[in-house]
Amino acid sequence: MQTKSIFHELQETALQQATRRHFLQGCTTGLGSIWLGMQTANAAGDASRYLPQHAADNPLSPLSPPLPGRAKRIIYLHMIGAPSQLELFDYKPDLQRLDGKECPQSFLEGKRFAFIQGTPRMLGPQYPFRQYGDSGAWVSDRLPHFSNHVDDVCFIKTMVTDQFNHGPAQLMVHTGQARMGYPSIGSWTTWGLGTENEDLPGFIVLLSGGRQPRVGKALWSSGFLPSVYQGVQCRSQGDPVLDISNPDGVSREQRRAVLDTLSKLNQRTSQAFGDPETLTRIAQYEMAFRMQAAVPDAMDIKDEPDHIHEMYGTQPGKESFANNCLLARRLAERDVRFIQLFDWGWDSHGADKNEALNAGFRNKCEQVDRPISALLTDLKQRDMLKDTLVIWSGEFGRTPMRENRGGSEMSFVGRDHNPGAFTLWMAGAGVKPGMTYGETDEVGYTAAENPVELRDFHATLLHLLGFNHNRFNFPFQGLDQKLTGVKPARVIEEILA
Amino acid sequence: MTFLKMTSVNQMADCLKLALFLVQADLLKQRRLPVALKQFRAGIQRVPLLLLLTLIAVGSSSGGLADDVQLPAVISFNQHIRPIFNQHCTACHGGVKQAAEISFVYKEQVLPPDGWILEPGKPEESILLQRVVETDPELRMPPPEHGNALSAGDVALLTQWIKQGAVWDASHWAYAAPQAQPLPAVSDEAWVRQPLDHFVLSRLDDEGLKPSPDASPERWLRRVTLDLVGLPPTMQQLDEFLKHYATDATAAREMVVDRLLQSPSFGERWASVWLDQIRYADSRGLGADGRRSVWKYRDWVIDSLNRDMPFDQFTIKQIAGDLLPNATIEDRIATAAHRVTQTNEEGGTDDEEFRVAAVLDRVNTTWQAWQGITFGCVQCHSHPYDPFRHAEYYQFAAFFNTSADCDLDEDWPVVQAPLDPQDYPAVSQLDREIESLRTRLWQREYALLTDADAWQPLVGMQASTNNQTQVVVNRVDDHDEFQTVGTVSRDADITLEAPLPASLSKLTAIRLTAMPLDPVKAIDDSEWGFVMSEIQARLLIPGEQQPRDLKIARLYIDEPDPFYDPQLSLDPKLKRGFAAYSRINKPREAALVLDAAVDIPPDARLSITVKHRIYLLAAFSLITRRGHVAVTDDTRFTDSLTAEEFSSLRTDLADLQRQRSAFKTVSVPVMQELPEHLARPTHIFERGLFLTKGDQVTAGTPESLPPLPAGPVDRLALARWLASSENPLTARVAVNRFWAQLFGTGLVATEEDFGSSGDVPSHPQLLDYLALRFQGEHQWSRKALLREIVLSRTYGQTSRVSAALYDRDPQNRLLARGPRFRLSSEMVRDQALALSGLLTDKQFGAPVHPPIPAGVWQPFQSGDKWQVPQPGEPDRYRRSIYTYMKRSIPYPMFAAFDAPSREFCSPRRLRSNTPLQALMMLNDEVFAECAAALAERMRNAASDPQQQIRAGFRLVTCREPDEADLLDLLDLMKSAAKEAAADSATSSNSEDGLNAVAAVLLNLDEVVMK
Repeated sequence: MQTKSIFHELQETALQQATRRHFLQGCTTGLGSIWLGMQTANAAGDASRYLPQHAADNPLSPLSPPLPGRAKRIIYLHMIGAPSQLELFDYKPDLQRLDGKECPQSFLEGKRFAFIQGTPRMLGPQYPFRQYGDSGAWVSDRLPHFSNHVDDVCFIKTMVTDQFNHGPAQLMVHTGQARMGYPSIGSWTTWGLGTENEDLPGFIVLLSGGRQPRVGKALWSSGFLPSVYQGVQCRSQGDPVLDISNPDGVSREQRRAVLDTLSKLNQRTSQAFGDPETLTRIAQYEMAFRMQAAVPDAMDIKDEPDHIHEMYGTQPGKESFANNCLLARRLAERDVRFIQLFDWGWDSHGADKNEALNAGFRNKCEQVDRPISALLTDLKQRDMLKDTLVIWSGEFGRTPMRENRGGSEMSFVGRDHNPGAFTLWMAGAGVKPGMTYGETDEVGYTAAENPVELRDFHATLLHLLGFNHNRFNFPFQGLDQKLTGVKPARVIEEILA
Repeated sequence: MTFLKMTSVNQMADCLKLALFLVQADLLKQRRLPVALKQFRAGIQRVPLLLLLTLIAVGSSSGGLADDVQLPAVISFNQHIRPIFNQHCTACHGGVKQAAEISFVYKEQVLPPDGWILEPGKPEESILLQRVVETDPELRMPPPEHGNALSAGDVALLTQWIKQGAVWDASHWAYAAPQAQPLPAVSDEAWVRQPLDHFVLSRLDDEGLKPSPDASPERWLRRVTLDLVGLPPTMQQLDEFLKHYATDATAAREMVVDRLLQSPSFGERWASVWLDQIRYADSRGLGADGRRSVWKYRDWVIDSLNRDMPFDQFTIKQIAGDLLPNATIEDRIATAAHRVTQTNEEGGTDDEEFRVAAVLDRVNTTWQAWQGITFGCVQCHSHPYDPFRHAEYYQFAAFFNTSADCDLDEDWPVVQAPLDPQDYPAVSQLDREIESLRTRLWQREYALLTDADAWQPLVGMQASTNNQTQVVVNRVDDHDEFQTVGTVSRDADITLEAPLPASLSKLTAIRLTAMPLDPVKAIDDSEWGFVMSEIQARLLIPGEQQPRDLKIARLYIDEPDPFYDPQLSLDPKLKRGFAAYSRINKPREAALVLDAAVDIPPDARLSITVKHRIYLLAAFSLITRRGHVAVTDDTRFTDSLTAEEFSSLRTDLADLQRQRSAFKTVSVPVMQELPEHLARPTHIFERGLFLTKGDQVTAGTPESLPPLPAGPVDRLALARWLASSENPLTARVAVNRFWAQLFGTGLVATEEDFGSSGDVPSHPQLLDYLALRFQGEHQWSRKALLREIVLSRTYGQTSRVSAALYDRDPQNRLLARGPRFRLSSEMVRDQALALSGLLTDKQFGAPVHPPIPAGVWQPFQSGDKWQVPQPGEPDRYRRSIYTYMKRSIPYPMFAAFDAPSREFCSPRRLRSNTPLQALMMLNDEVFAECAAALAERMRNAASDPQQQIRAGFRLVTCREPDEADLLDLLDLMKSAAKEAAADSATSSNSEDGLNAVAAVLLNLDEVVMK
């Protein structure tokens, strides 16, 4: 350990926290120092905490997880706005029979809604469903391509959350907390595992749908973890990573010459001051130089063969979910640890055409159906699905009642927010394929059997990555902070292959 | 697993045997205790109790061993024992979980007479010790699944502590007042420059270390200039200092420090430190994270630093400036400190939920920023290891729960602050007069409104609406009440009709009472409120076809300073009016005063229509859900419209308000108390959930700290409690923060946690010394404190470190060398602007929008633009503190260099070192512009390349380049020039290769580090 960086500082701080560095000030030799030595040794093997030990000059150096992990990398497809489970995966014939009837009062008592007021009417599924594959999973006719993959996928129909507004609920999904300021799943993952490709960021975020999620970067924030673990947004248009291109008129050779000179001068500084931070800085500048070549290369989909473009429905240079799915595969191939896609436009209230189940929702389904299917096919044919975990979800579900904003019927058909049940699916990397876990009630309103809290989902994710969620924590504000929060969480063993 | 009252004779016997065996076979033979301890370390972790007792006995009785083995002569509870409890025990036996009703946080649950697990003076009878050394995993504490066994050292400490009588000195060091500290003796008096150097050198003496030599004057100047004003010294300042230094080093240093402390840049540098604590941002947070106009507060912080406002005043004004006698507009602006909490403007969100979240955030931030305590834990349960009970959190929250703000999109309440601070005194004076007149007027009106004798209730009421909203009427006591049933529809008009009492011959005023649907529950759990967008009153007279309109002249209502002007209920064109906006928890009243008394024909009926047109957050109709009506013939009402004692006040008030509105202003959200009769009660939230309310509490501070000052218990009392010299934490936390900014690490490294799980101070006496100096001799002057520290010998040491010293003390906790760490994000950018000559010194004002990489600015509200000033315009080159700060889209350069996005109090910044920082400093538009400008400066400084490079190098580092540095840079310059010549497309500017040199200079480790 010749160089020291923030991460040492961090490790030391954490170590100190664990061992409570209360130096035996009354005695400077003898038992005191031995005792201290024992404490330090003890802390290194402290059963209560797994502390990632990254290389001194690279806070993202790849690490093996403390436990055998199945997932080497994660691709998370988040449909921002919360797609209706009742029009996609959670088939409810009983709801069809209740269509148009007044909602029973028992559904409303003690519940808080964003927009529904008074007594709304029930709303049957808006699209026909069929069973697919050997597993016989129900899928609506909105996802004709995806329905060929049901035997690769594990559906959880009973995800529940305690947030019924988008911002807090999205934060719950990605940080386990409803307020901004906490690390996202991708940050925890790269803190714990680093990344294997030093020339690319370890945690990459891709957006589509024309708008950012409303809480913005808080969804890929590193929170109280060091900022090096925050997600790096990559773009299909313009600079793929902020400031990755040299300023106008600066060639790569010229940049090399600048870095060579910089390195020489910094080496002298290092010798003069003996501060390991200087060597770390030299290494970071070199990594930046390599990233300048590697990132544009990874982000350029032009050289993909026609049949791949055909399969995904991609158009180079455009910002689209399809392009992002193809990019996700390219980044996964390059061993990027965590690839997060956000697709905006799934908030099907029925308040206007774009957000109506009978209008905008169809377009959204069309935009994602083929790319998701292609991504699964592509990962499978490259034998990457075995260690790549693909996750699809929204941030909550939608009500079996039709939204009646302001207490009256609306011109388009929509559903309000429902934290009581939503569908999430996972595929690959140690998850049982062709499985459905959990059952909602007869109208898809609540999780009737095997509810899964987000913290259980988080615990399961960490398990698949090779972490015990209780031991993977970070001391902040007097608490050993965990992705799964303070309430007990459980790994959903039933869905593990 | 819990402690059980039982011991096992067999186990004790086993222990005894094993102990005797070990003692005989090993220990006594070798007579060297450290060897035995090494064996524990190697694996004999579960040491039988008696063996340990033996060890202690051997250790303390054998003179031969005493040299090797020494437990501290007196075991300190805080220093030695509490840490053991915190690490091993309090997870199950703490403030939260108190398994078997044992808590190691509270003395009475451990020690006799109530506690039963310890026998002071008798280790062998103490169940605690037996359980921690137990070999049976079923019985051992902590249970193996909860953690490792205690180390031999821990057990030795516990044993010795119990033997010494288990003295439970409950006061954690930070909760006891700082103690006056004599200056310790040092090995070299001549080394000392400031009294504080005694403490540092004495510690180094103890450690057998020598301080490092002084930094060169050039480096000292750069360090102190960056530290105090956040900018590098100019070459002129450097030359003057070096000249002065050569003749009188001490005077030269003092002169520089005094100059820097007087610089207007001082406040700009230090404000960002405070704004991290106070979670300042120019946006609202959740929902759309829209713009919030609050920059006047940021300016107030800068200005108060520049004026060296004492820290106690600085504290009081921010917590309770609005409650100060004769509060000025600045005092009120200061209270925005607690109005920069996140609000939520997303459709369908509950204003009460996010109001409560803001109140709790104020509690947590106050504790974090001023007390260095993580109080947030106590929201859900008693503190796991510090002496704060669950209820005490809510007692503290009660101070903040009675303010008028309630998560409104408008950020109300706000003050209109004059754009020009020159106008502050005049406006303050006007506001005081307006406030006084308004209060007097309102008190008179309110007295009439609440005069119970004046009013006669209406009965026989009928109620109807214009849409699907359903209303029914119920008799309650002496009056009829209407209430809505089920869902209310938007834009409902509610019409109430009732016969007037036969005894009423004329009508002068009508009283409308609007209530929550469930008046009892609403006191604690408010309901959505109402806005009476329009109120009409008519008389229905038998035999007359047309109702007779009653002309309402004014509304007298039950609060002096409402968000909406209640008189707007009389204007059919405007939607606003008398309101409970946006929540109602208690009945609200308004008197509709007729412009003149109206004679009532026999059998006349009164008809009142209340129109509602406000629809909030795309979801909530603010409609009166329940209420009743009363009438009066008391002519005091109609008289009051013209009576001198009313009308003169109204005229004067209108006049003053006209004068006030002539000032150009900007709005600032502020703290403001609700009138007492509308104040909200505060409850404990069970498990921290705001919908699960427990017992009601009144405002108060935790028992484990000194009491509140005498007098009313309100926010002002709280502010004075925080700013008091009695408070053991405030001065220490503040001093430590300044220290950490200068040295990179605080004397307490965990700046955010002075509680018992935080670090103990590296130099406890120095911390107390500085804290007492700060609140005593320095009278809370931050400049005086900083002056003392930066003029110390400790601060002036070189930061060069030998490998040996680095290994010994990698974090420089012992201070045997000077500080060296990366500059903050603000300083990195401001320094680049300054070195390149681009920085503009314009101060204060609305946030600015310097260049931002393409594609970053995609706000949820697409109309919100990031307007970048053109090259050459001053606002492009302002200091970083003025950059627009949106929480959901942090400025990329700041985010990359570890600035927090200010959602919550950020007690300290971590410092990272990443490739994204390198990309930013090499390629970002801001830095590319700086490099080009720096190259131009070099070009203008000399004509000879070597001299150009010398000038540039000295500018960025404050020192002359080494020959090797110079040659390397010259090489680069030549090769860059050659390339430029070869490629005609390259801009003409870099033909000489100086742009490449400038890029190197701005990226030097020496430049981004202090």
